[in-house]
Parts: sequence; C-alpha cells; structure tokens
Amino acid sequence: MRFLTVVLQHTCRNMLFTWKSQIMTLFTVSLSVLIFSFFYLIYSNALHVSQELGDDLRLIVYLDENPAPAMQEQYQMKILKFDQVERIEFISSQQAFKRFEQQLGDNSDVLTGVPADFLPPSIEVYPVRSLDSLSRIKRFSDYLQTLPGVIKVQYGKEWIERFFSFIQLMRVVIILSGSLLIMTTTFMVAHTIRLTLLSRQQELELLRLVGATNNYIRMPFLLEGALQGFLGACGGIAALLLLFNWIKLQFAGPTTLTLLPFTFFPWPIILSIIGISTLLCAAGSFSTTRRILHL
Amino acid sequence: MSQETAPPDIMIDLVKVTKVYPPEVQAISDISLTVAKGEIVFLTGMSGAGKTTLLRLISRIEKPTKGMVEVAGIDVAKLPQGNIHQLRRKIGMAYQDFKLLPDRTVADNIAIAMEVVYRPRSFIEKRTRALLGQLDLVKKYASPAAELSRGEQQRVAIARAVANFPEIVLADEPTGNLDAETTEKVMNLFHQLNRQGTTLLIATHDQSLYQQTSSRVIELRFGRIRSPLSDPPEDTREETAASSLYPSPEA
Repeated sequence: MRFLTVVLQHTCRNMLFTWKSQIMTLFTVSLSVLIFSFFYLIYSNALHVSQELGDDLRLIVYLDENPAPAMQEQYQMKILKFDQVERIEFISSQQAFKRFEQQLGDNSDVLTGVPADFLPPSIEVYPVRSLDSLSRIKRFSDYLQTLPGVIKVQYGKEWIERFFSFIQLMRVVIILSGSLLIMTTTFMVAHTIRLTLLSRQQELELLRLVGATNNYIRMPFLLEGALQGFLGACGGIAALLLLFNWIKLQFAGPTTLTLLPFTFFPWPIILSIIGISTLLCAAGSFSTTRRILHL
Repeated sequence: MSQETAPPDIMIDLVKVTKVYPPEVQAISDISLTVAKGEIVFLTGMSGAGKTTLLRLISRIEKPTKGMVEVAGIDVAKLPQGNIHQLRRKIGMAYQDFKLLPDRTVADNIAIAMEVVYRPRSFIEKRTRALLGQLDLVKKYASPAAELSRGEQQRVAIARAVANFPEIVLADEPTGNLDAETTEKVMNLFHQLNRQGTTLLIATHDQSLYQQTSSRVIELRFGRIRSPLSDPPEDTREETAASSLYPSPEA
C-alpha cells in the first residue's frame, strides 16, 4: 500500500515537472487514437453494411432452359464446391413468372396472354455474407459465366465493386493509422519519459545511492507511460464520440445515414482501444527506462 | 589467567583491495582493513590519497579492480545489480559534494532516504524534525536546498545519511564547511549513533575530530595505508602491515 502511494506520488511529481511535454504527448496520443478509431469506426460500420446487404448480394444465373434434375445436381455440385456459397435456389420459368406476377400486384393483368415460360429459368446463388465473399464475387461471377447453359450472370456489379474498393481502401487506411498510433504512442511516450529521466537524473542517482529498489525507481515511469496512453486514448475516443454525434446530428433526416446502420463502437472495442494504447505507451516507457537507467 | 572473548562482529572487511581508474590511475593499492561493528574509524590523508575511493568501494559505487570488499557479510563486488539496494540500505553516506536535490526542500532531501524503505509519513516527519533540531536547522525545514549555505547543505547531507538508522555511516569530509560549534554538534550526533551500535567511517582532514578520541585513525598516502595513528580495538582481526605502530593519542 505504501509502495503504491509512493509510486503515485512520484508519478504525479514527474508529470507536473514536465507538464508541457506531458500535454504535447497526451495531445499526440489522443490525435492518433482519434485518427485510428475514426477510420476503424467507418470500417466496422462498412462491415455492418455488408452484412445487411442481404438480397443485394444475390447472384442470378440465367439459364437457356429449365435444367433436368441430373443437370441441376451438376450445377449444385459445381457451385457449392465454393465455400463462400451459403445456398443456391433453382427458379424455373414458371416460378419466375409467378414472382413477377406478384410483384406487379394489381397491374398483373398486363401479363394476360403472355406465356408462363417467357422468363428464362435461373439459379439464385446466395454467397456467405462476409467481406471475403464480397471480394471474390467478381471472380465467382466470371466462373459462373463459364458453366454450360448459362446465358448471363447478374448482380449489383458496379455498386459491389465500388463498395469493395472502398473497403480495401479502408483496410489500407486502418493499417496506416494503426501504424501511426503505434509509432506516436511508443515514440512520443518514450521521448517524454526520456525527458523526464534526463531532467531527474540527479534524483535518480540519489535514489540508487540511498537504497531504492529498481522497481521503486522504474514503476513511476511505467505508470506515467501507462497513464499517458490511458488518458490519451480516453481523450481520442471522447473526441470521436463528439464527432460521431455531430455527424449524426448534421446528417439526420431522410438521407443515407438513416437508412444505413451507423453505430458507435460497442464497449468491448472501446476498452480494447484504450487497453492497447495503454499497453503500447507502457511498453514505450519500459524500453526507455531500461535503456537510460540500465535497469 | 587470560579470558577468551568471542571476536567482535566484523562490519567492514577489505582484503588486498586495489582500485585502478582507466587508463592507469591507481587510486588504491593493496589495502586490507577490518572495521568492527560499532567502531569509529577516522580515515585521514592528503587530497587524492584514496579516502573517497575507499568509501565509494565500501558503498559499491565503485567495484574493486582487485581484492575483496565485504560489508556486513556481503561480498559487495559479487552483489548483483538488482540487489545493491540491500547493501545501500545498511549504509548511510554523507558525500563530500552533498548530493542534495537543489529544487527540493531540506525536509524532502532528508526524507528521501526514509521514503525508499517505505517508512510511514509520521515517522519521516518526526525523524526529520528531530535531526534538524540536533543540527540547528529547524528553521530551514521548508527551505529549498539551493538556498542554503554550504555549511547548512553539509548538515542536511549528514542528516540524510543518518536518518534511517543505518548500520554503517560513511562520512566524507563531514565537517569541511562547518565552524567549531557546529562540528561539535555533528560529532555529537555521530557519537549518539555510535552508542546505538552504528559503525562509523569518517574521512577527514580535520585533526580536531580525532585528536581527542581513542578511536582508530588510519592514514592513507598515495592509495596505501601508511599507518594507523592508534591501536585497533581489541579482538578485531589483524590489519594491514604495521597497523599497530602508533599509540593512541590518549595513551
């Protein structure tokens, strides 16, 4: 208990002693966390959207004629060998006609006289609702096109490709901002701790001479690093929450945002970001303390 | 009929210790010295004779180039880096350059020695005030160390060295900046500690400190023990060559 009190006292003293660089570090860590979590928020919402796409992700494979049961089996075998396919459904010309009739509703009388087999039979392929399947959908559609009896493969091509490109871009941005987060947290914190260590070299030497343990000397610096990471991450997340609410408020109304499920991070993700930032900063502090104090 | 007594505990034991600073400055040569528990030993000698180096070797600020330094049963050269605190907690050292933190108060400077061993706040404050009272520094309790005179700084360094009731006190020129009256106060403090069992090793130029005592005086010259000016205490181990040549001043 006394150890903790002493460590806390030393940590507070250290932080007050170098308050200017402490503020700079906190600001930098907050900004890095804000940048990283901002893109991560967009990415995670985009993932959400891809899961909500539902039927839009369905591929419709139009066939030239109703496949015989043996042919259906062959199609099924060839399509289901892809692990990204959730299920397939055969739609005969008659079933397609009925669907169309239902869609027309009161106007279905326009179909009077039209033969029930005027629409081509098709296979509806439902891929697994994940980004992976999304990324492969083009190649998969190219493959389906090569199957015998296939006239055309249809899906929301342009939309899905754009969406996929966006997701790819997000991934790159997240990796970059994640690297930025790691670099700033570790390097900035290491730099601040180094400043603190150098400014207190005389005291640290004295502590050793009067019998302080390595932990007694080291712990305040580790705690300082961890605190910078914790407070910086909390600041970054708080800023993101403000930004999120502002965006929601600004774009409230009958716009895309109301249609799409745009949500903030759940608690486990928030705690993970704060935890990782805290750990990174503590690691930065640990390496500097080790290097400068030779502990 | 001679009565055999058990030899007193040895607190400091140096065996053929040599310290060479790079490139080839021989600070201490082949010194052997034994200090018993509860003994007061004065180290004298000209500047550069090796007094400070000897104290630094005992407190493991330096490692010997050759020989063995044993303090309270601990071979200090073999002590791992992570365990040096165990040795340092047994020793209170008053440095020649004081090693005070100029931006911290007098009380903080003294308290630091007690804080590292997690003494309770109340104890630290009581002990600090008591020491400042003994050394005539009560009014300086909250003054920054930088604002003190050299004599006052010296007394703060001494107070810090003895604050934790160490088993050994190593004092490097503890009265170099003090007047006669304050010197007496410092020596009274040392003797008070000694009566409680503390071993003292005092490096000094000030002859007045040891002229009127029966304590052992060892003179260093060019890194070697020249000769002690008084007899070693009874039953201490054999010391270096010619260790009993000089009689005690009081003899």
